[in-house]
Amino acid sequence: MTAPVIRLTGIEKSYPGVKSLDNVDFAVAPGEIHALLGENGAGKSTLTAVMGGAVKPNAGTIEYLGRNVVWRSPKEAQAAGIHVIHQELALFPELTVAENILLTEQPRGPLGLISPKARLKRVQSALDRLGVSIPASARIGDLTLADQQMVEIAKALVGEPRLLVFDEPTAVIAGREVDLLFDNMRKMRSLGIGIVYISHRLDEIFEVADRVTILKDGKLVGTHPIGSLTRDDMINLMVGRRLEQIFPPRPAKPTQGQVVLAVDRLSAGDRVKDVSLSVREGEIVAIAGMVGSGRTEVAEAVFGARAVESGAISIDGEAIPRPGPRQSIGRGVGFLTEDRKDKGLFLGLSVASNIVAPALDEITRNGLLDRSKESDIARRQISGFSIAAPSPETRVGALSGGNQQKVLFSRWARIADRLLILDEPTRGVDVGAKVEIYRMIRSLADQGVAVLMISSELAEVVGLADRVVVMAQGRVAGELYGDDVSEESVMRLAVHTQDRGTAGTIQ
Amino acid sequence: MTFAQAIIRRNRLTPSYIIVTILLIALVVTGAIVSDRFLSWRNISNLFQQMSVLGLASLGQTFVILLGGIDLSVGSIVSAATVFLANFLDWRPDLVWVAIPFALAAAAGIGALNGYLSVRLRVHPLIVTLGMSSIIFGSSLSYRKEPGGSIPPGFDVLAFGSLWGVPIPAIALFGAFAIAGVWLQRSRSGRSLYFVGGGFENARLNGLPVTRITTGVYALSGFCAGLAAIFLVAKTGVGDPRIGAALTLQSITPVVVGGTILAGGRGGVFGTFLGVLLVSMLNNLLNFSGVSSYYQWVLQGVIILIAVGLRDKGGES
Repeated sequence: MTAPVIRLTGIEKSYPGVKSLDNVDFAVAPGEIHALLGENGAGKSTLTAVMGGAVKPNAGTIEYLGRNVVWRSPKEAQAAGIHVIHQELALFPELTVAENILLTEQPRGPLGLISPKARLKRVQSALDRLGVSIPASARIGDLTLADQQMVEIAKALVGEPRLLVFDEPTAVIAGREVDLLFDNMRKMRSLGIGIVYISHRLDEIFEVADRVTILKDGKLVGTHPIGSLTRDDMINLMVGRRLEQIFPPRPAKPTQGQVVLAVDRLSAGDRVKDVSLSVREGEIVAIAGMVGSGRTEVAEAVFGARAVESGAISIDGEAIPRPGPRQSIGRGVGFLTEDRKDKGLFLGLSVASNIVAPALDEITRNGLLDRSKESDIARRQISGFSIAAPSPETRVGALSGGNQQKVLFSRWARIADRLLILDEPTRGVDVGAKVEIYRMIRSLADQGVAVLMISSELAEVVGLADRVVVMAQGRVAGELYGDDVSEESVMRLAVHTQDRGTAGTIQ
Repeated sequence: MTFAQAIIRRNRLTPSYIIVTILLIALVVTGAIVSDRFLSWRNISNLFQQMSVLGLASLGQTFVILLGGIDLSVGSIVSAATVFLANFLDWRPDLVWVAIPFALAAAAGIGALNGYLSVRLRVHPLIVTLGMSSIIFGSSLSYRKEPGGSIPPGFDVLAFGSLWGVPIPAIALFGAFAIAGVWLQRSRSGRSLYFVGGGFENARLNGLPVTRITTGVYALSGFCAGLAAIFLVAKTGVGDPRIGAALTLQSITPVVVGGTILAGGRGGVFGTFLGVLLVSMLNNLLNFSGVSSYYQWVLQGVIILIAVGLRDKGGES
């Protein structure tokens, strides 16, 4: 094997009370896609931060391009050719693509002034090389997330990188966008660039990675060629659990409960056209489809958070003429949004406040809050959903991502006794927490709640749902149930009309 | 758990309270050294009398900032209310019990309009209240260019009187803050205020009546400005269309010094109370030592930067 681009030896990093990395060895060869796998908190982020110069290890050595280095700052590492592409993109939404890409090295014209023309030309050719049809003059804020990610990659490539680190790039994109990303990663691999790829999605790792390194609790579990591991092996190494233990068993025969949610020829905005679907008591129905296919918009319309243009929504057979969040909550409908931070939790407030937020009526007497009742409710949810929070008064922002998600879940699960709408219920949580959330969803369904779930993770859709409604470009492309549900069949429907679609261009 | 930790937990104190408390103690000690009259009952009464106007205006501002907004019309509302009260009472001194409720209702009404417009027009409250401030200021000036009017005898008891030896402005101030504290912590509407401040869209998705809450909170800020005007007019005896001009920005200082964050959703009235005490005590002490009012401004600025700069920013972003 050729000399590695980077070799980390015996890396240790401790924070007060936690050993984040414990004697970890890690190396990336040139022209290799090396996946980094582990649960949240396993140490992946810390390891990438060490490579990128954002975190100084307490012990261990970094050998980069054959020389021992000590990064004093991320800037120094970047100048040497190491680029970390974070999940949360570091772009300026108000500036153009070209301005973002050449942020620190704007080409100069006569008089030493910045030359927009030269900038556009240089950036456009860089984008063309990547094979993406994004105009260099477009404003970042007008681009889709997938396109923004491509801009971030283009930005890295301008600096002639030797090592690229992708931190969960596919958390925000789907389908063809993922394919395009992978094509580009392979292209960069063929240029001899070393690539570190972090993802929670095992299928993607099988598709794109050459080797995989698994971390658990800050310790190295092992580094293996991708061909020598099965999916089950990986999960086993990561969590010590087997695949069949991830999804709870389905009921022996399909539910015959009455229809709770009926959506009939619903149209709302540009993204929802003529959508009909239904969910029965005790049934888990998934809406699958690409990001931007209208899944979230259907959920918002059902909950009353989005204006409906035509069509009918009924809950328990009763039509709801002008739904609003308040009315929906009153009817036992809950909506777990995909955006936990902005449209989900009140991060500055306590766990208890967050849990009772949609149900203040329940703890109000004569306009005053019954604080002990609030505490009781919160305590019950904390133990029922095994949320790791020291007390009901703990600020939600202080909890880990997985526990924040459980708080959000426990809020809606408590009040949604008829219909629970879940938009990406396991986004950004590790496998351990996922398994718990899957069990909770199934157990709610077993108690008779109708569940409408949106997910970008095909494994989740296939493993958990009783029935799958696939959407494409705002319409229902098809419905699958029983043995017909597989990752392939869902995908086929999802991209069916997408072929003539607009992936990779401005919305 | 130490006693201090227990207090912090119970009152949801953040370290900014501690910084302000330390600054307060330092001020008291300095005052006691500089002058033996600083801690006299007479000066303390005087201090509370001076505090009431700023305190009430800041109280209203606290609610609005907790909501994630800001109210730049506080000063204009106070000015306009003093003009109305002094001129109305000059004309009909017997109708005190008509003038006061009317002034409060009008002030609350203007506030409600602020809140309603900012939600309905989707305009940042900074702009709505700035516009409203200008409208009110201009209207009061067109009515009375110079200070004028009068108050009936006995009205000034609100500013200078005392009950069981406690100055009436102090009673009003303590009362208002105590009610506000209980309201925020214990009532449904108080909690809803924190929810809307924590995230407007989020609160809406949780079924909270966001328009009603916003309108109500701005109305409350207007109401507090109206209350401040009553105590102000009781002290000065005239209505002055310019008297509140500096009060708008002054009312924000104790709120941020007391630890309420401008982004909304975190903080409370206890911090504001400490902030008001700090600012007022500082000015009082400087007056006492004969320092020019220019330096009062300078020191006030220094205090803001110290109190806000040193506090724990954990999780604010």
